[in-house]
Amino acid sequence: MLSIEQAEPGIVVIAGRLDAAEAASAQAFLDQVSGTVTLDCTGLDYISSAGLGVLLKTQKRLLGANGGLRLRGLKPHIVDVFTYSGFDRIFEIEAGH
Amino acid sequence: MTAAVSHRALSAADLEAILDVTKALAAPFDLTTMLGEVVAAAKQVLRAERGSVWLYDEPHGELVLEVATGIAPVRVAWQSGLVGACATTRRIINVPDCYADPRFDRSVDKSTGYRTRCMLTLPLVDHKDVLVGVMQVLNKVNGVFDPDDEALATALAAQCAVALSRVRMTSAVIEGERMRKALEMAREVQMSTLPASMPAVPGYGVCASFRPAELTGGDIYDVALVDQGLLLVLGDATGHGIAPALSVTQMQAMLRMAFRLGADLDTAFLNVNNRLTDTLAEDRFITAFIGVLDPGTHELRFHSGGQGPILRYRAAERSFERHRPTSFPLGAMPVSSLRAATSLRLARGDVLALVSDGVYEQENRAGEAFGEARVCRIIDEGRDAPVAELVDRLVAAVDAFAGGAPQSDDMTIVLLRRHEGASVDGRFARRTDALAGLVAFSADAFERLAIDSRLLPRVDLAVEELFTNMVKYGRGGGGAVEVRLAAIEGGIEVVLVDRDVEPFDVTRAPDVDIGRPIEQREPGGLGLHLVRRMADFVGYEYEPASRESRITVRFTIAQGDPV
Repeated sequence: MLSIEQAEPGIVVIAGRLDAAEAASAQAFLDQVSGTVTLDCTGLDYISSAGLGVLLKTQKRLLGANGGLRLRGLKPHIVDVFTYSGFDRIFEIEAGH
Repeated sequence: MTAAVSHRALSAADLEAILDVTKALAAPFDLTTMLGEVVAAAKQVLRAERGSVWLYDEPHGELVLEVATGIAPVRVAWQSGLVGACATTRRIINVPDCYADPRFDRSVDKSTGYRTRCMLTLPLVDHKDVLVGVMQVLNKVNGVFDPDDEALATALAAQCAVALSRVRMTSAVIEGERMRKALEMAREVQMSTLPASMPAVPGYGVCASFRPAELTGGDIYDVALVDQGLLLVLGDATGHGIAPALSVTQMQAMLRMAFRLGADLDTAFLNVNNRLTDTLAEDRFITAFIGVLDPGTHELRFHSGGQGPILRYRAAERSFERHRPTSFPLGAMPVSSLRAATSLRLARGDVLALVSDGVYEQENRAGEAFGEARVCRIIDEGRDAPVAELVDRLVAAVDAFAGGAPQSDDMTIVLLRRHEGASVDGRFARRTDALAGLVAFSADAFERLAIDSRLLPRVDLAVEELFTNMVKYGRGGGGAVEVRLAAIEGGIEVVLVDRDVEPFDVTRAPDVDIGRPIEQREPGGLGLHLVRRMADFVGYEYEPASRESRITVRFTIAQGDPV
């Protein structure tokens, strides 16, 4: 299960599992955001390559409009996925808390 | 005899010469120098033209005369001729006219052109009453040897015998020490080539033990992960001393090199054999097992050059299979073609036991050998114990059996076991919305198989990526994908089977260049890239008959994994 919602302006909170089954709904939500957005991943338990694809597409769109996606609160095993895929170089990742 | 000495007073020079020999007793002369000293002293004291010393070579029953450096010494049977007569009787022989004595051997004169007139032959018997050799002094200046000379010579001979005996003993000790040091070094080299630790092979337990015999032995083993799979070697060189220790070391280095350079099993075996044939001495060879295990297919292929028996424990039947050597020992003769390698497919719980002669042949106090049956019984009884413990049990059993009897050969044991490990199977429709079911299946399997939960996110990722790949690219009739999760030592094995599909080797999918700037990055290929990065092992097999794709992935807890 995945939940994704706008908590306050510029901050989106995502929780649960961002996998191939949930990628489409996450993409639909993120297609609506604009500007510089912080994605709070404190509750994100899992991400696969399908989820990374959603974030990549969103980041490309936001950067193209002088905005961008920042990530925060990543769990260590999620950080691993970002590192192995080189996505730690594509996103600004704030230290987890 | 002592009375006879009083016939003539010793000259100062005589005394000095005898004292010189006495003094030389303590000097660290080598044998050649000491022989020269003794002959010079004899010539001077007895006023002889020439002198020589024949040394007694007891093991060969011969008397040996060192003629000159670089020329083979003259050897005669210790009973023959005048020297022989002197050696056997241990009595001085004074021959005033050699050519009138039938015991005199004229051939030496003939070959040297020197004419021997008279001769004094003296036994050299040391202080422990051991015959050291025979001294001969030839041609007394202006006359023949008289009883005074006999007495003098006897006194001198006693000193010479002690001196020579001492030198011989010293050189034997030095030689022994040199040999011991060289042997120690060779053993050190031999030991240093043994692997420092066992490689981690998912799905397998492997452990080895090597215990050198005190003096001799030429065992070696190797367990190493190479591109071809898991390399397993057990070698035993013939002979005693330094040579076997060094030749097995050489063989192991050659094998590692061959496999690192990409050689297959047959090529490595042939080439190493032929190279060893060139370099080893004629009478030397090495018996060796050389095998390569593919941990993905569980196929073990091996050649055994005279090394046997190779034992394979079949866990399902609790029985043993003995495999004979496939070839003769390495280094014995050049080979241009080989019999096919033996191939085994290890089932769950099966054990491959490589055990050297030193174990099978270890005797107890009653002279009975440890034997194969005992090895087999311990392996069967320890079928549930970890391999490391099994190796310990074997070693302890050999010790208990020997009961303090000396270890006469190196003992080497290498055990490889394919893990049992229970498994959980599931079938999932080839649709993306089956993912939720897969996640629940994995979580449940982790609990049932008591697998470390730290591995769950990695397993979830691998299962999802491989499964969605099958959903995307599988053009089959919509059949289910089989997923099996199995516990292995320190981790988990994941197997996904998809039938009626085209082959797609996930291990050969191109790597993603993760250093590219964002505008050049695409999500494609990331899934397999992540799986390969996170797994300890990824294997792919395709069965054309059933058009079946089988992907095997293994994960284990690494030392650095956070608790």
